[in-house]
Amino acid sequence: MSERSRTSIGRIWRRGLIVWVLLLAFLALSLFAAYAAPASWAAPINFGIAATQAALVALLLMRLDRADALVRLAAACGLFWLAILFALTLTDTLSRLANS
Amino acid sequence: MSAGGDLIEKTAERHLREPWDELGLAGDRAFAYQRAGATFGIWIFIASEVLFFGALFLLYTAMRLEHAADFAIAARETNIVYGTLNTALLLTSGLCAAIASQASEQKGLQRLTLWCLGATVLLGLAFMAVKGVEYREDIEKHLLPGASFALKEPTTQLFFGFYWLATSIHAIHLSIGIALVVRLIWKEWREPGFLFESPQVEVAMLYWGFVDMIWIVLYPMLYLDGRAG
Repeated sequence: MSERSRTSIGRIWRRGLIVWVLLLAFLALSLFAAYAAPASWAAPINFGIAATQAALVALLLMRLDRADALVRLAAACGLFWLAILFALTLTDTLSRLANS
Repeated sequence: MSAGGDLIEKTAERHLREPWDELGLAGDRAFAYQRAGATFGIWIFIASEVLFFGALFLLYTAMRLEHAADFAIAARETNIVYGTLNTALLLTSGLCAAIASQASEQKGLQRLTLWCLGATVLLGLAFMAVKGVEYREDIEKHLLPGASFALKEPTTQLFFGFYWLATSIHAIHLSIGIALVVRLIWKEWREPGFLFESPQVEVAMLYWGFVDMIWIVLYPMLYLDGRAG
């Protein structure tokens, strides 16, 4: 194996392992928060951690950070329509709950 | 398994699909377009899948808003050890998939690509095995919605309806991911050097990353709720 290949392997693994350690650290943190945080705070903390983990996977493992504009637009469209889906439905659900 | 110089030189010829020649482009340029097209295509697919799973997550959110106490009672019945172990397995498989994808783009790293694809498949299978054991335990504990359901609060059945639906749909997606990666390994075995710069590796690994992300969101929904206090 050439020196260049070894350097490439080192760079690929170093970057990947840093992200992996972060993801596992967040997993441990969410497990801890599920038991230790006050009940009303546990869900926001855990879904916040899940969103952070998903963002790390999308940006650094699925390489959205280096993707071209069209690919980022496709990914953003998914989130945009998802936001509309949630916003419109929850507007109805939450207003019913608030008035019941 | 090795990719000789001639194989590497012919990357464009090996991966290009018809009717690329009708574009009147040089092979390398046509291949670059096709590669970009493959990446764009899988991201369009992922965006549509986000909406598919998004509808499921919305269902969970609406039901949990209305039945928060019962959902907490139900979530305490899931096995957090299996859930956490499976999350760690999938996160690790995601690392292997990402390494495989990046290694496939560089000369001389075909062996690393192949090993990482193999590890990705094994970790995926380990996830399925743990899930199978967990399903058996759930059935033994009568957590399948129906007449003999174990919990007395009525809306806990809604939670477990979601649990079985979401985890089985995720398992189907993961099975497809495993099949895609096994196919890549098989193709490399049949045609050494196939993996080098193959857009199929990136597409399959992006799909794997998406399946990972879905589980990351399912984990707090199904396993972490109701543990506090």
